[in-house]
Amino acid sequence: MTDTSSALGAPSTAAEPLIAINGISKRFPGVQALDDVSIDIRAGEVHCWIGENGAGKSTLIKVLAGIVAPETGTISMEGYPVSIRTPNDALRLGMAFILQELTVVESLSVAENITLGHEARRGPFFNVPAARERAAKLMESVGFGHVDVKARVGSLTKAEQQGVMIARALSLDARAIFMDEATAALDEAEVKRLFDVIRRLITTGRSVVFVSHRLEEVLHLADHVTVFKDGRVAASVRNRDISAKDLIRWMVGREIASAFPPRTRTPGEVVLEARKISTRSIQGVSLTARRGEIVGLGGLVGSGRSEVLRALYGLDPVHEGEIIVSGRRVAMPSIRRAMTSRIALVPEDRRSQGIIAKRSVEENTTISWAQLGQGRAWRGESKRIALRMIDELGIRTRGPQQSVATLSGGNQQKVLVGRCLALEPGILLLDEPTRGVDVGAKAEIYQLIDDLARRGMAVILVTSELPELLGLADRILVMREGRLVGELAGGAREEEVIAVAMGQRESLDVA
Amino acid sequence: MASVRTFVARQRGNPMIATLMVLVVLVVIFSMTSSRFLTWENFLNVTRSSSTVIIVASAVTLVMIARGLDLSVGSVLAVSVVVSAKLASTGTPLPMAYLAALATGLAFGLLNAAFIVGLRVSPIIATLGTLNIARGAAFLITSSAILVGLPSNWADLGTGYMFGVVPYPIIVAALVALFFSVLLNYTVFGRNVYAVGGNEEAARIAGVNVPRMYIALYAMSGLATGLAAIVLGSRLGAGDPNIGVGFEFDVIVAVILGGTSLAGGEGRISGTVLGALIVAVLSNGLNLAGVEPFWQYVAKGVALVVAVVIDRITRVERESRQTRAPVAAPGQTADPGA
Repeated sequence: MTDTSSALGAPSTAAEPLIAINGISKRFPGVQALDDVSIDIRAGEVHCWIGENGAGKSTLIKVLAGIVAPETGTISMEGYPVSIRTPNDALRLGMAFILQELTVVESLSVAENITLGHEARRGPFFNVPAARERAAKLMESVGFGHVDVKARVGSLTKAEQQGVMIARALSLDARAIFMDEATAALDEAEVKRLFDVIRRLITTGRSVVFVSHRLEEVLHLADHVTVFKDGRVAASVRNRDISAKDLIRWMVGREIASAFPPRTRTPGEVVLEARKISTRSIQGVSLTARRGEIVGLGGLVGSGRSEVLRALYGLDPVHEGEIIVSGRRVAMPSIRRAMTSRIALVPEDRRSQGIIAKRSVEENTTISWAQLGQGRAWRGESKRIALRMIDELGIRTRGPQQSVATLSGGNQQKVLVGRCLALEPGILLLDEPTRGVDVGAKAEIYQLIDDLARRGMAVILVTSELPELLGLADRILVMREGRLVGELAGGAREEEVIAVAMGQRESLDVA
Repeated sequence: MASVRTFVARQRGNPMIATLMVLVVLVVIFSMTSSRFLTWENFLNVTRSSSTVIIVASAVTLVMIARGLDLSVGSVLAVSVVVSAKLASTGTPLPMAYLAALATGLAFGLLNAAFIVGLRVSPIIATLGTLNIARGAAFLITSSAILVGLPSNWADLGTGYMFGVVPYPIIVAALVALFFSVLLNYTVFGRNVYAVGGNEEAARIAGVNVPRMYIALYAMSGLATGLAAIVLGSRLGAGDPNIGVGFEFDVIVAVILGGTSLAGGEGRISGTVLGALIVAVLSNGLNLAGVEPFWQYVAKGVALVVAVVIDRITRVERESRQTRAPVAAPGQTADPGA
């Protein structure tokens, strides 16, 4: 069922595609996640999806998995329209999803995991021998025959757990298997074995949709490649005569909006220096930040950008390396030490890590300040600080006593910035400062960040939005798989950042 | 004047209005079922018998605002009473015996803290364990007997009156409630308690020393229980290791009736005091009306479930009211709590 005679750029036109996605759109507050997306998934093929963070790949998978409902569009299987409203629907239609967070039950055995939900029975009892036999056959067929089906899944390696998930997909008679970032936790040998398994799967007429950030893998494995950009399909082509450069060009190549303040600051002395710091998630990262400078951390999701901020702030334990603030070494980084070293953090997820929803704007703004030993008249001072922040940051609220839960996302973000500013920090760490914030508030926050840097703060910024990164940062440090792999100047092009982030090219000066 | 107006305005939608109404309704009902209810002497009875609960529930209010729980207070009450009774009956001067009660309460509070903060045991399990440990200790210390032979001044505190008018237990309860109210409303520590209860992770990232706060909360709970033991033991005039069974229930009912949510992040001492009074009025009223004592258990059980259900309903109502009216400037989309 694979077509062998299509030209580059023209979709293959064999029999009906296994899955036809037509005109799917999905909007979340503030962002169009999918915009009129149409893709054909053909049986017996490996179809790779690629695109930047937030380009729409994961959202589309959620639509197919019945987790998210699209506003427009249809999905057909082998020509017949289908309705996917719940994960169960997706399951019954023969779709299986192997996502990055593996959904195995670690305390159960391999056989139990594979047959979970559709166990072989003997009357009311679980037919253990039948389950084991079936599991063993399936594990063999996916190249993991050496794994003991009685073993507890929690004791297996990530690669073996993945094998269990694939075996389970086969047990459920899946016809289309979706893998999202499947190779993220695997070593080279395991990746090779996975690719063999995938090629074996498609010979049985199944489809494998493989989402990946690794261009080499995509070019190696794919029969068909679909590139996502800004919620749309930028290209959907056969994997023939295309290069990594083509892929990157399809992935980015947009105009950078000039909602960004012009860069007219001159950085001063170094205030923060990290020397080869390693935590559980990052290795040997070294960087410096100067007064009046905005340093951007770029890279793909999971590359360790937020983890660098967490290490600097004392949230994650640092195994190795040193953090030096204004010339003085910070021993045993902890949140307390960070605060007294005048480092402040606006965390990544404001809902679970930042905002205390039940409390007022004032309490949320002054909570960090209040921890630093205040005098008897602290409550008056707290009100004054809150009012000052509301004014300076332009927080739209009825007053400092208003519950912070009623503020818009952008204003909540400003409250968190205000919380940091009340500490009069020298170093400001910002993790996704405009996530879930609408366009108007974004522009305000950009101006704010520039002003803060101009006032002498050193800012380290993590953002998944490339235009934002390039528009604000004076220097961009690119992370990949936990390491710092490159440094680019602020005026770099998006393609350059993506290229370094994907390991396509090492830039000349590595920090 | 402006602050009075804001105070009154803020009471609207205040869960405590409901609690106050309940109390008033109960008072009205019971004054009709028994002529002895609405007397000064009975008023003193009710407030005096609620004083033990108020002392402990004030401290436990803070624990529960921070999403903790202390089920051990009844047993710690008993063991603190017997420790001080044992010392007093063997000739130790009364102040030292009182100090011993406080120390015992504090010790068990720190034991709870060690389990919960140090060993990361969940508060329910940890304090359940302490509940048994303390009860066992109480029986061991008294060899299962009820200690008598206490000095003559033992009962002074529990049965005496300040200026001949106000019973001491009520004074102690009022002072304790005031202390915790001030702690909660006027100190950074109090704000931290609300913050941790509202979103522990956010509070931690914002710099609140969460472990230290929990240690302090459980220690204070134990200490308050020791204080309540002094008052109660003095009123009973004996060191009985059987007292306090089910006491933790009374405490928790008082806290929840008073508006503290099980989900944490909310609550006030004034509400707890009202809750304790409701429980005391319920017991007292049913007694005077000649109802069998075991019906009181039923009544309290029903009260607890009703309180939790009302809390959940009003919480959903309050939260939806908050998020339905966000403040947005023209040209900016409102994004409630995203």
